[in-house]
Amino acid sequence: MVVSPVHLIAAPLAAAFLIPLLNKLYRDAARVVPGIVFLYNLIVSIILVNRVFQSGPIVEIIAGWKPPFGINLLMTPFSAVLTLLVSFMAFVIWLYGFRFKRSLKGGVVMYYEILQMMMAAGSLGIILTGDLFNMFVFVEITGITAIALTAFYRDRDGAEAGFKYMLMGSLASVFLLLGILLIYTQTGSLNMAQIAGRMPAVATGVKITALIFLLISLGTEAEMFPLNGWAPDAYSQAPSPTSAAFAAVLGVAAIYALARVGFTLFDHGSLSAFLTVMGFLTMLFAEMAAIAQTNLKRMLAYSSMGQMGLAMIALGIGTEAALFGALFLIINHAVIKSLLFMSGSYFIYNLNDKRLSALNGIHKRLPYVSFLFSLAALAIVGFPPFSGFWSKFYILTAAGERRMLPLIIGILAVTVIEMTYYLRVIGRIYFAKEETEPASHKPSIQALVAMTSLAVLIIVLGLYPDLIAGYLHKASMFLLDKQTYIQTVLHLS
Amino acid sequence: MGIIYILGILIIGALAAFFVDDLNRKWTGPVAMLFGFGAAVALAVLPESRINLPVLGFTLHWEMDALARFFAWIVLGLSALALMYSVKYMEGRARQGYFYAAFLTSVAGMFGVTVSKDLLSFFIFWEIMTWTSFLVAIYNAYYGVETKGIKYIIFSAIGAYAMLTAMVLALGQYHSLEFGDLATAGAFRLTSGSWYIPVLLLLGFAVKAAVVPLHVWAPAVYPKTPMSFTTVFSGAMSKMGILGMLLILTGIFHSGRVGELAALRLSLGWLGGLTAAWATLQAIRQNDAKDLLAWSSVAQLGYIVTAVSTGTRLGLMAALYLTLLHAAFKGSLFMVAGAVEKQAGTTDFRKISGLIKRMPWTFLTALIAIISLAGIPPLGGFVGKWLLYESLISETHSYFLVILIFFASTSAFLYSYRFLFGLFLGQEEEEAKQVKEASWWMLIPMLALSMVSIATGMFPGLVFGPASRALESIGLPAGNWDMSILSNVWGNQTDVFTVGSTVGILFVLWALFITFKGKKNTRWLTTKEISTSGEIPAPEDNFTFQRGFFKPFERAVGRLYRWDMDAMWEDIGAALEAFFGFIRKIYTGNAQTYAMYVIVFVVLLILFRNYIF
Amino acid sequence: MSNYQEIISQYRPLLEIIVYGSAVALILVGLYAVLVKKHLVKVVIGLSLIDSGVNLLFVGVGYVTNHTAPIFSPGYENAADRMVDPVPQALVLTAIVIGFAVTALALSLVIRLYRHHKTANVEQLNRLRW
Repeated sequence: MVVSPVHLIAAPLAAAFLIPLLNKLYRDAARVVPGIVFLYNLIVSIILVNRVFQSGPIVEIIAGWKPPFGINLLMTPFSAVLTLLVSFMAFVIWLYGFRFKRSLKGGVVMYYEILQMMMAAGSLGIILTGDLFNMFVFVEITGITAIALTAFYRDRDGAEAGFKYMLMGSLASVFLLLGILLIYTQTGSLNMAQIAGRMPAVATGVKITALIFLLISLGTEAEMFPLNGWAPDAYSQAPSPTSAAFAAVLGVAAIYALARVGFTLFDHGSLSAFLTVMGFLTMLFAEMAAIAQTNLKRMLAYSSMGQMGLAMIALGIGTEAALFGALFLIINHAVIKSLLFMSGSYFIYNLNDKRLSALNGIHKRLPYVSFLFSLAALAIVGFPPFSGFWSKFYILTAAGERRMLPLIIGILAVTVIEMTYYLRVIGRIYFAKEETEPASHKPSIQALVAMTSLAVLIIVLGLYPDLIAGYLHKASMFLLDKQTYIQTVLHLS
Repeated sequence: MGIIYILGILIIGALAAFFVDDLNRKWTGPVAMLFGFGAAVALAVLPESRINLPVLGFTLHWEMDALARFFAWIVLGLSALALMYSVKYMEGRARQGYFYAAFLTSVAGMFGVTVSKDLLSFFIFWEIMTWTSFLVAIYNAYYGVETKGIKYIIFSAIGAYAMLTAMVLALGQYHSLEFGDLATAGAFRLTSGSWYIPVLLLLGFAVKAAVVPLHVWAPAVYPKTPMSFTTVFSGAMSKMGILGMLLILTGIFHSGRVGELAALRLSLGWLGGLTAAWATLQAIRQNDAKDLLAWSSVAQLGYIVTAVSTGTRLGLMAALYLTLLHAAFKGSLFMVAGAVEKQAGTTDFRKISGLIKRMPWTFLTALIAIISLAGIPPLGGFVGKWLLYESLISETHSYFLVILIFFASTSAFLYSYRFLFGLFLGQEEEEAKQVKEASWWMLIPMLALSMVSIATGMFPGLVFGPASRALESIGLPAGNWDMSILSNVWGNQTDVFTVGSTVGILFVLWALFITFKGKKNTRWLTTKEISTSGEIPAPEDNFTFQRGFFKPFERAVGRLYRWDMDAMWEDIGAALEAFFGFIRKIYTGNAQTYAMYVIVFVVLLILFRNYIF
Repeated sequence: MSNYQEIISQYRPLLEIIVYGSAVALILVGLYAVLVKKHLVKVVIGLSLIDSGVNLLFVGVGYVTNHTAPIFSPGYENAADRMVDPVPQALVLTAIVIGFAVTALALSLVIRLYRHHKTANVEQLNRLRW
């Protein structure tokens, strides 16, 4: 089959616009079609990842205009890994949400599925595009769909969270536009490879201003410390599959964009310290806020911000080992945090209560979901033998190589905070006095399959990390190799 | 491959117990026990072996050498007995599948720690052991999950992350994680540039070994965990810290400079001594048998840490000896406490007493264990104490430390007596009359552990052999040892067997003497009659002095009790939480404030761009 | 025609100041509204103003003196070197569309908030905090 990176973006976009029509023909089209599309995407990305790792990066030219002039899609080993991750997680999240809120009427479900698909398409676009302005467009697509999904339950809190997200997102897009404008005036190009090639000639002052603008906007998406006010609200008010998608799809794309801008467009050395410090502050403040939360989803949201902070630290350190750790961390974060949101939302669904204190003794009603939640909680804190351990260990190793003792101590101190609140929840689930009410909503088969597959992945990657290590090493090497990126795009023969 | 088989047996056992519990709750305990014994048997037939597993560019190096075997025996032997004990102890409790799964996984973690020969696998198994033991520690729902169990995990995490820090620094500096390579490169030396590596590692081990001031989790968690696991918790898991110390300190022992050794002896030795003294004082004032034993565990580990700090062959021998002995007698004491709890419903001295007639076998176990703990000659504890004193006096000349240790171990008599008197002697109360002897499933492991105390007391060589080989495997010189003779540097020899037999015969003679002396003119007295000097009290009068038992003693050392380390840590925790609660208010919830953050951040970045980028 | 161009090149610096200055002024006015105004609709208006300012900036940057619109029409086939840079204008078109979508979404959120809160004061939005 002839496949190309375009399919990954085009298929969900096309399907999203076709669903309203299809829904008229077949009542359940809105539920089924996204699954088919995501499955197709998953297969395509597996094929493409294999191709990329065997025969080098794929450059896809859109509409016949060759790179510096037209828009190109680019699949390097680095973006290939993340593409596969996003495709996989999108599929799993769809599976989880297949019977999502059966009580909702067809039309509403249709909107939900359309928005989820657009968000996945936008995120894949961010990861695949080789054009800066094109990236802006995809950032906006994901942003708008994410805001709409945040306000999906038309309640008061959802609208409030949506409005905050909208305000921050708009400011971010303004800064992104300004940054792109500055870069365009200086380099005369929007193609990332060409910009990267011409960037050394740009005057330092302008370069840094452009860098600041881009960092502000992408930092907002990546939940960097003073810019992440939207995140806890959005995560906690969105439907649960969407919260999972925020972590597994949107977060991945945001970290990718940050890495691409930091490592390819600009010189990594100049923003290494900035990313490390801001990442650490993000992690610190997020975890400090998380420990006092009384709301389960909000706690998970702050924890997500903490993980993003750790990923930024790893990008900041920027050695090959650190990038390996960052990639592994992003994969872990996507898988584990999704599992936490998925299983956590079944608690909420059963209890009709988001408060942590309502979780007391819930394991009697939902034993398997409780087990999965606990597993994920242990994994995200970084206990061996689960996959979360390896990413944290690798990032610390990278910091150890650079002798960043305060950073290591800081990360670990914050991890102690994280561990405290996650294990408190486990204690609550299993050992607090239970309230006796009959279970009303057992998880659907699809949701069980989705959650179980994630749990299996956590354990398998924890016991045998070498399964993906080769890919991740190659991907992180490629991210560091700016020249190959430029040449791959510009010297097509 | 043998190591993997044992790990496999334990893990499969954990899964089996977890799933069997769903089928038939009756079988969960026996199944877990079978796997526990299976692992112990596998250890018995396991030859010396090593495995290298590559993972992510590192090599996990597991090796079953003499040192590993010594500790593995403690872990697997004690666990097997504890699992057998657990069958009846846990009978009728809910969530047994969960309990045994976590129990066996934790044992697997401990076993893994004993065979690890590189820091990475050491850390991995260490963490597995920690979180599974946390899951068991919070099993009893009746106490606050929020405080006690969390205290344990926070302290463990601090310790573990100190180790992790040391590990990544060592990796960055020496590019290896093998204990052997690092020791050769001098990474564990206090005099090298990387002095923080051994210090951080020692910090991690000290938490597990409950060294003052990092001990507060142990008295909080030991009593609240199901006793069948506390046995392992105190008897085996805390010893992993000792194992770690042995592994990293041998380089210093071996060829350490004088100053280095002195620093180690001063710091670690005195910390151990202080732990012993402080915990003993705390144990004396406890009113619950389980709390008392918990503090006693901390105290005993203090002796072991002191013994390790000497760094001499004799001192390390004492450490290994005490390690084994403590596992035996403290294991059986916790089992005794569990048996009393199960049969009588409480272990509070103020509520229960005079169980000697109701639970004679349990009393016998307790008696033997207490004699061993107190270090009275015929039993094993004596030998351990002897070795410790001898190495402290004749080899390291730390006389002041000896005084401290001596103070601690004499004071230990007080709580030993309290334990025996409080539960078993004393005045029999009405409630105690209904109490029955514990099941044989519980008695057999207890008696088996008593046998260990007796056998090692009579024939210390039983331990000296494996311990000596264990010390050789970490590079200490081989030495002579004899089945039942202790010798000291002046050439004097003490045949423990003779001493033990003498004391034993004297005891029997004394017993005969008081039994037959004027048999006709005497009658059995009850405690109540002793208390009233022969007067006839009213039936409702209670003369059992369980409240304020050691009041005079407490008055004497009262000043020491005023400083409450636990409260200090809790204050720190509360202050931190309050601080976090204050910090999170930066997320005000106001959209315009967030927008303001963005603008301010941009302006700051632009203003200070020359410094930041 | 030539007279017109002369005038423009004569006042070129002034024009630049006007174009860039008004763009920056628009952005600042918008920021003021976003940060200070308490009415939700005014905040949304502020966002639109910022968007317009940025768009104006784009157009201004793309402008080159004396050049024509970037359209190949009959008689101007070879005019590529006399055209203004077409890229910013394309970008602006896209940005306008996106800004429109965002504004629509924002207004719908404002309506929903008004229905729930019975007020459009931005300070009512503080149920989700800490």
